[in-house]
Amino acid sequence: MASGHRAGKALNSLKIRAPRDFWGGVALIALAVIAFWATRDLGGMQGVAFGPGTAPRLFSGLLGVIGCVVMATGLLTDGPPIEKFALRGPAFVLAAIVAFAAMMQGIVVPPLGLVLSAFAAFLISISGSREMRWVESLIAAAAMTTFCVVLFSYVLKLPFPLWPAFML
Amino acid sequence: MFDLFHNLALGFSVAAQPANIGFCLLGALVGTLVGVLPGIGTVATVAMLLPITFSLAPVGALIMLAGIYYGAQYGGSTTSVLVNIPGEATSVVTCLDGHQMARQGRAGAALSIAAIGSFIAGCVSTVLVAALGEPLTKIALWFGPAEYFSLMVLGLMFAVVLAHGSVLKAIAMILTGLLLSMVGSDIETGAGRMTFDWPELSDGIGFANVAMGVFGFAEIIRNLEVSKESRDIVQSKIKGLMPTKKDLKDSSGAIARGTIIGSILGILPGGGAVVASFAAYTVEKRISKHPERFGKGAIEGVAAPEAANNAAAQTSFIPLLTLGIPPNAVMALMVGAMTIHGIVPGPQVMTKQPELFWGMIASMWLGNLMLVIINLPLVGLWVSLLRVPYRLLFPSIVVFCCIGIYSINNSATDVLIAAAFGLVGYWLTKHEFEPAPLVLAFVLGPLMEENLRRAMLIARGDPSVFVTRPISAGLLFVAVAMLTLAMLPLIRRRRDEVFVE
Repeated sequence: MASGHRAGKALNSLKIRAPRDFWGGVALIALAVIAFWATRDLGGMQGVAFGPGTAPRLFSGLLGVIGCVVMATGLLTDGPPIEKFALRGPAFVLAAIVAFAAMMQGIVVPPLGLVLSAFAAFLISISGSREMRWVESLIAAAAMTTFCVVLFSYVLKLPFPLWPAFML
Repeated sequence: MFDLFHNLALGFSVAAQPANIGFCLLGALVGTLVGVLPGIGTVATVAMLLPITFSLAPVGALIMLAGIYYGAQYGGSTTSVLVNIPGEATSVVTCLDGHQMARQGRAGAALSIAAIGSFIAGCVSTVLVAALGEPLTKIALWFGPAEYFSLMVLGLMFAVVLAHGSVLKAIAMILTGLLLSMVGSDIETGAGRMTFDWPELSDGIGFANVAMGVFGFAEIIRNLEVSKESRDIVQSKIKGLMPTKKDLKDSSGAIARGTIIGSILGILPGGGAVVASFAAYTVEKRISKHPERFGKGAIEGVAAPEAANNAAAQTSFIPLLTLGIPPNAVMALMVGAMTIHGIVPGPQVMTKQPELFWGMIASMWLGNLMLVIINLPLVGLWVSLLRVPYRLLFPSIVVFCCIGIYSINNSATDVLIAAAFGLVGYWLTKHEFEPAPLVLAFVLGPLMEENLRRAMLIARGDPSVFVTRPISAGLLFVAVAMLTLAMLPLIRRRRDEVFVE
């Protein structure tokens, strides 16, 4: 985002006055273009009937127009700067989610079951907090894992493997 | 009239089955539990808890979801009274006087009047839903594809007008939601649309993944930024839960007015509950003989908005149950849940599955009763929950959400898609885009496209059908009028003020 920011400024003698609107608009236009491109092989109007591609192209066209207007707003009116994106929190939360998915399904690692996956996801995400303390975190992770196993496996009776496949 | 009692009796016979009472209680309980957590609003709560209802039978699942909804809303009010952080927009107003009351040592009275107000409003609006349900489904008979399409346009425009900030950006979110809903196989031809030859996308993007991502994960990530906690929890022990006679006398009028305002505003598509609580508070302040007491712990300032938002929560089921159109984001989640259970929301639900329709209505009343019963004794528990630091709460929520999504299809892809939408949601808030219109449009998308295509086919490709059929034209006219009004600078400023206040 930051590098795009600079490039945009250098490219254009017009000043970006409301960056939230400007970059929001750019993203909308990009999305509209991608959607339009992705529907290129789909049939359009067949006589009076809509084809599968008609509605998506109609809506992506509209989105593109609105994206342009939003982007223009960013050039013509003043607005607050974009708040800084935090990196640490989102990165750890994301890592925890990805780790959970991989451990449950057995992607890269063998399927490890609900207990280990939940426990690991808890510990990874809590590492994103700067106030993390080990003992407290381990206790909380164990408590939350127990709660989830009881809720999902025993109360809701969902057929999750609880333990790693190779241990059974 | 006799029909009404007959139907309600049928509903209660369904809702009062021990299993269903259990689901209602469980829903209200976990809804409150999650709703109490600071920074997690009603929509996020419902989105997070949605997957745990998928394994139940349809009636039980919907009853539990309704319970979760009321619980979440009540949990939000509890937080705004005890901590000065409103969990969500509907409890912002409750915060004003509720927290002041808590500081004066009257937290017990504030919480109990909120519960009582909500319960009374819930009773009245449940009867209203039951009474209006049947006649309104008859209206649905006049509706052809063109009318349905226009009605959905109207609903989406309401969502635009009631979203914060820029009208254009809200419209952009709606178009984005519509486009996302079109990913996957085309209903009529079966052609894969925008799937990028990715087999996981051929069935479309799961609605629970989108909701969990933009409401659940995004909210967690965003809350992490403000984790330098300055929570102002009321430390004194909460005593005297029962309101005094004077409290009851002072608030009875406010509850009655709140109920009426909430019931009316809830039916309108858009953002029912939020607007209702603002409107009820404003009315109370206007007609009060001592408006200066407001903001300093006036009990009417708690009673009226709480009654109003509960009444609105209830009556917002009316458009959903009768026309199949969700008026707000929570109802959009309900539609998603119904679809997963194979129920197409709309007028046919009442005739084809009366036990589901009336059972749900009866369970609304039961849900409200549960809230009074469980919340008053459990206040102590909620208070201790509020003392749990966020650094321990957010990993719990992450884990819970992960398991929840995974449980829907046992699919790791679903979890990853939700994570991606979490990042999208985070980006959206940084650029002042509201996710609620996106989700609403995402749910309405397939219905809208189907009706648009059908209407055009019936009219032999002539788009003027939308303005030549009177009902459709009327609906579109209202939509355009509202949009124009919202764009006018004067009203726009006032609208912003309402949200800032």
